[in-house]
Amino acid sequence: MNNKDDSNGFSRRRFLKLAGGGAAFAAASGLVPTPLRRILPVSEALAAASPFPTDADLFWAGTDGWISLPTSPAIGFYHPDSAAPPPFTTYIFGFRNITRHSKDLTNSATLINKQKMKAQASAPLFWLDEYDPVTNPKDFKMDLTNLGMQQRPDLFDSHTIHWHGFRNVIPLFDGEPTGSIGVPPGGKWFRYIFRPRDPGTYMYHCHVEDVEHVHMGMTGLVFVRPKQNGNMALYPSGKYAYNDGNGSTGYDREFALLLTEVWAEAHWDDAHIQLPDWTDYRADFGLINGRTYPDTLAPNSPYKISTSTHAVDYNIDANGDLPNTGNLQYQPLSSLVECNAGERVLLRLVNLGFREAAMTLEGGRVRVVGKDATPMRGRDGTDTSYETSTLQFGAGESIDAIFTAPNVTSVTTFVLYNRNFEHANNLAGGFGGQRTEIRVYPPGTNAAQQVPNQTSQDTTVA
Amino acid sequence: MNTQENFQRKTSAWPTLAAAIGLLCGASQAWAALPKVGVACTSGGPNPTFNLDTAIGNIPMPDGNSIFMWSYALTGQPFQTPGPVLCVNEGDTVTIVLHNKLAEPASIMFPGQENVTVGGQPVQPEITGTTITSLTNSAVPNGTVSYTFTASKPGTYIYESGTNPEKQVRMGLHGALIVRPTLGADYLFDRSDSRFTTTANSGTATPWNEEFMVLLSEIDPYQHQAEESGVYSFYDITQYRPRYWQLNGRGFPDAIADNAASWLPNQPYGALARVHPVDASHPYPGAIRYLNVGSLDYPFHPHGNNGLVIGRDGRPLAGPGGQDLSFEKFVVNVGPGQTWDVIFKWYDAENYSASNPVPMALPDPANLSYLDFYSGSPYLGQQGTLPPGITTVNQCGEFFIISHNHSLFQLNSWGLTMSGPATYMRVDPPLAAQGLNGILTCTY
Repeated sequence: MNNKDDSNGFSRRRFLKLAGGGAAFAAASGLVPTPLRRILPVSEALAAASPFPTDADLFWAGTDGWISLPTSPAIGFYHPDSAAPPPFTTYIFGFRNITRHSKDLTNSATLINKQKMKAQASAPLFWLDEYDPVTNPKDFKMDLTNLGMQQRPDLFDSHTIHWHGFRNVIPLFDGEPTGSIGVPPGGKWFRYIFRPRDPGTYMYHCHVEDVEHVHMGMTGLVFVRPKQNGNMALYPSGKYAYNDGNGSTGYDREFALLLTEVWAEAHWDDAHIQLPDWTDYRADFGLINGRTYPDTLAPNSPYKISTSTHAVDYNIDANGDLPNTGNLQYQPLSSLVECNAGERVLLRLVNLGFREAAMTLEGGRVRVVGKDATPMRGRDGTDTSYETSTLQFGAGESIDAIFTAPNVTSVTTFVLYNRNFEHANNLAGGFGGQRTEIRVYPPGTNAAQQVPNQTSQDTTVA
Repeated sequence: MNTQENFQRKTSAWPTLAAAIGLLCGASQAWAALPKVGVACTSGGPNPTFNLDTAIGNIPMPDGNSIFMWSYALTGQPFQTPGPVLCVNEGDTVTIVLHNKLAEPASIMFPGQENVTVGGQPVQPEITGTTITSLTNSAVPNGTVSYTFTASKPGTYIYESGTNPEKQVRMGLHGALIVRPTLGADYLFDRSDSRFTTTANSGTATPWNEEFMVLLSEIDPYQHQAEESGVYSFYDITQYRPRYWQLNGRGFPDAIADNAASWLPNQPYGALARVHPVDASHPYPGAIRYLNVGSLDYPFHPHGNNGLVIGRDGRPLAGPGGQDLSFEKFVVNVGPGQTWDVIFKWYDAENYSASNPVPMALPDPANLSYLDFYSGSPYLGQQGTLPPGITTVNQCGEFFIISHNHSLFQLNSWGLTMSGPATYMRVDPPLAAQGLNGILTCTY
């Protein structure tokens, strides 16, 4: 969470001051302290044969990119960003899932390198099965590389994956760079090994300069499926949030909803070699899964179901890019919730904004069955779950809540929105976005869900 | 703020860091008796009387700024922020005499204590005309007021000013009160499941208490400057905006310096949580007493070790029949005016060691980046090779695992990043393993 460059007594911003701006970087390279000189521009490093492993369970790349937020109302000269290539508005840092790219044995380095400047918001959703030394003794291999920042070639920030909430992890795999390691740009990579022993809903983010990297978009949701899954005796679907022993956390469909915020000035500053005073922070936009309402209701980007085993495997084009869906090309994850009457829907909610959220369900209630990847039970087993219509949770917290769909005979919509109203609605001119819908269909309308957040609106390849 | 100011703030912090990572240097004379880490009690024997002054001083900010503060201080002792950690035992009759050295009335409230009296009468708000001028009995300038209560319920409590609290609490008139249970000083409550690690129960030879305090606060520098400059009436409280957030009255990295660090003469309380892994000879958890004297929820995130919240606001989380209502959290979201009592256990879930190595090939060290606290080795008690030019403060292969406020914009000091409420859990190798089989020996 520290600033690597600061720790060398030499901040990158100070360097910019001395060098008179990013354009002077090469000329001033004699000022770069010794430990940093070895970091080469990424294109040079990747020109050689692929340095990347091909056996990762998941492989992420950290880089920068552009996304689209509502252009009206404009925010000073910060939003929309005049440097943004159409149809985009806002500069981000982020991750991309390059697992498929890494397994192209003849072309992986080229395909991976082309994802520079193609970050997505939110960071890719992923999920694992609970580790068990007997029944699932799998060392989950998650690789990370750092493609550098195309808009900010002066930045040589490292990246990490910090799995927020992972219990009793050694520093090597915690991703917090002051007590551990970071992955610098230049074709370097690192392998995180995860043995997730505790089911539930978590989040992950880059922890390098985390105020900036988290806010700029290197934030995603991760969850762990319990080993009770597959037991049809406790709940017919055999799907559970936790190893509850009684089916109380059983569900039919699951939807991951990651709340984040965008302060337009900070994003503009990073695109234009400026630095905000973070204590001026304000949330101009509230986002769910990287989108603002009504974009939250748009379908997921097209994906392949059979290979979406630990993350949504979006279709990619010949350059390895995300499918061109227009302004939401780099915001591929939908927040639309669909279900059939009578079904249980698990909402996996995470807040990685910097403010409290109060997500409210209009016309219905949910049961909170877990918080912070912990079932709602005391040490002696006392049930502490509860029903509510407003889920209040702060920065870095997660909630597992089950919505039981009523027995409707026609499509019925329930609105889920942040009761911080100006963060809920862009259509009315506010800085909104944290609003989505739960649509309940008559029994049997929707086929069984195969991938988290899957809805009938999606274009999928089997 | 323009970037020039920012640059100055960034660079000005480094002398502070250099001092803090020196750790364990001399102690300020006034606080010489405090333990190096952990809760540093001011105790007064059975049925104690504490004499507190309101005091005035300045403290340094991580960005080099100097902030004018008020505090409670023990009579005869210097200004300190936060106020002294007052530790009493369940059942004690506690008397606290406030000697007001400010130019305006001041007072102390004891939220969570019942039957607080002044002069034998229950404390009452002070009303002038139709306006409440103090939420409790106050002392006039150069006057005194004596509060008495029976500490009937064990737990963690705040004490703070009840007079113009929107000014005085924020100026620094706040502190922690700990009531230890009858069951024993190594319990948080009168419940057997609230025991935490101390010298007596962990087989350690060194004085060793894994009981820590995280007191969260905030500073709007304009409010403090207005008071310092004698123009407080011009301060517009509707423009209140904190620019500094603190942990035990310190920013980062001051927060990881020892209690009573000599270079922080008026900020005696560190927040480093130094622990040994939980194992058979060290079976009990560590304890953290969280207090929030600020205005917003502070979502505090301890990495790699969830907090089990077993009490709030001086009461155990228990049902009417003693049912356990505790809950485990990876973010301890302490609300304004709340206290949360949390226990935690650190152990390596995978028992990685040189003989049970991590199941991946470690990259060439030159292909990674490093910061100040890494040992160079994945394994507790071991150090590895770091590339030339990389420095580390790592002493004996210990782990430094961070804890910080996750409302991340608050990790800043008016533009200086990574200087707000953050600290480390420092995990030392098990004492019995040190010096054996390649495990390094730590100094204490």
